[in-house]
Amino acid sequence: MKKLKPRQRVLVYQLMMYGLAAVVVLVVVTQADWPKIQKNFFNTEIAADMFPEVITSAVKNTALYTALSFVLGMVLALALALMRLSSLKPFRAFAIGYIELFRGLPALITLLFVGFGLPIAFSGFRIPGGVLGRGSVGLALVAGAYMAETIRAGIEAVPKGQTEAARSLGMSQTRTMFTIILPQAFRIIIPPLTNELVLLIKDTSLFFILGSTPGTKELTKFARDFMNAERNATPLTVVAILYLLITLPLTFLVRRLERSAAKAR
Amino acid sequence: MTHAIDVRNLHKAFGDLEVLQGIDFTVETGEVVCVLGPSGSGKSTLLRCLNRLEEPNGGQILIDGEDITDPDADVDQLRTNIGMVFQQFNLFPHLTVLKNLTVAQTGVLGRPKAEAISIAREMLERVGLSDKTHDYPAHLSGGQQQRVAIARALSMKPKMMLFDEPTSALDPELVGEVLDVMRTLAGEGMTMMVVTHEIGFAQEVADRVVFMDAGVVVEEGRPEQVLEHPTHERTKKFLRMVSEH
Repeated sequence: MKKLKPRQRVLVYQLMMYGLAAVVVLVVVTQADWPKIQKNFFNTEIAADMFPEVITSAVKNTALYTALSFVLGMVLALALALMRLSSLKPFRAFAIGYIELFRGLPALITLLFVGFGLPIAFSGFRIPGGVLGRGSVGLALVAGAYMAETIRAGIEAVPKGQTEAARSLGMSQTRTMFTIILPQAFRIIIPPLTNELVLLIKDTSLFFILGSTPGTKELTKFARDFMNAERNATPLTVVAILYLLITLPLTFLVRRLERSAAKAR
Repeated sequence: MTHAIDVRNLHKAFGDLEVLQGIDFTVETGEVVCVLGPSGSGKSTLLRCLNRLEEPNGGQILIDGEDITDPDADVDQLRTNIGMVFQQFNLFPHLTVLKNLTVAQTGVLGRPKAEAISIAREMLERVGLSDKTHDYPAHLSGGQQQRVAIARALSMKPKMMLFDEPTSALDPELVGEVLDVMRTLAGEGMTMMVVTHEIGFAQEVADRVVFMDAGVVVEEGRPEQVLEHPTHERTKKFLRMVSEH
């Protein structure tokens, strides 16, 4: 066979790949049982039955759990980040230990520990607020560890000259941190913090482990119970779309923020 | 008699690197002193020791007769009396020009907001930037930013001003406006210590010039004496190299 020129070889390769893709698509389209798929995953009647509770209760609970976990996690993360940067060694050591511990464990373990481990160990001890309280504290313990590293990176990204300027005006270390450094640090870390928020939204699906009443189900638990009752997978499709409706705009926002931050530099 | 600044046998080392090897000098109230020297000579470190942005390893620094190297000295209080201007301006980018000038006045000195604002406006007027009051630093040129930085330091009503290579980060055409502000300030009797490479400015404005090299003061005196009739070989060599540009 005559040896092909490099450009011809690339062309032949591309044609083969397109051909392969076309064959796969053709097989799927012709062989799949479309009516069955539609009935089990895209059943409009079952989907309609989910409304309005899926919004008024499930989406609302997911949002509530996420928001509380995020706020609690942020407070914890800020404290951990400041400890991590402290000049006092025990504080640094504690922060490092905490961060490594909770980043190294599955979130589910932490949730089980807060939800069941603690009440068993200290009988009578209960975090108030039911599923909302226990779940949010559990997730916040995990999120705090991740966000602490993000905040620390943000603080370290603020130029040293800012601290020097503030201190040269007579500001104390604490005042410098809160009025000069942290406002700039948070501006820098808005994109990674938004990513953290997206992760939290998805992690609230772990709340099912804490048990639930009809009023406390978040999206995933709501879909699962609905699926079991109807013996149909459509509820999963519906909540998948709802998750994406929440998370995609956020990830889109992150990308835009990152781009504008790159431009500002 | 107490000097505005009185440095005695000052030592500073970074690890094994001895940056200041026994510095002695004084600055009188109302005096303008320019510090010259090749890079790495320790002149910026010396300046930064004066408000303890760097901790000296040995020796004494007296500001208005008060020993600031005393471990019990209130550094924050001390710094409100010493204005400092940096090479990189270091304005607070998240605050407007006005807020840059008032944040420490209200927060540190406890001045009422109205008073802080009126002082800030007065200082902006002095540096010729009254029209930039509500702008953010990023919207200003380098020269304007450095003038705001000078106004910010002045807003604290300090007794003296330290300048750490205030024009070194500026485009050549913006150097003049900053030097003009400093010249005016010197004319008004402000006590100033200026680390600079602007020989012309030193010649014209300084009451005294200090030449440093390798962590020691090589020679000091009236500008015309040090700059035109230097006695030390190192000073001569430095001035020759600078004037070749």
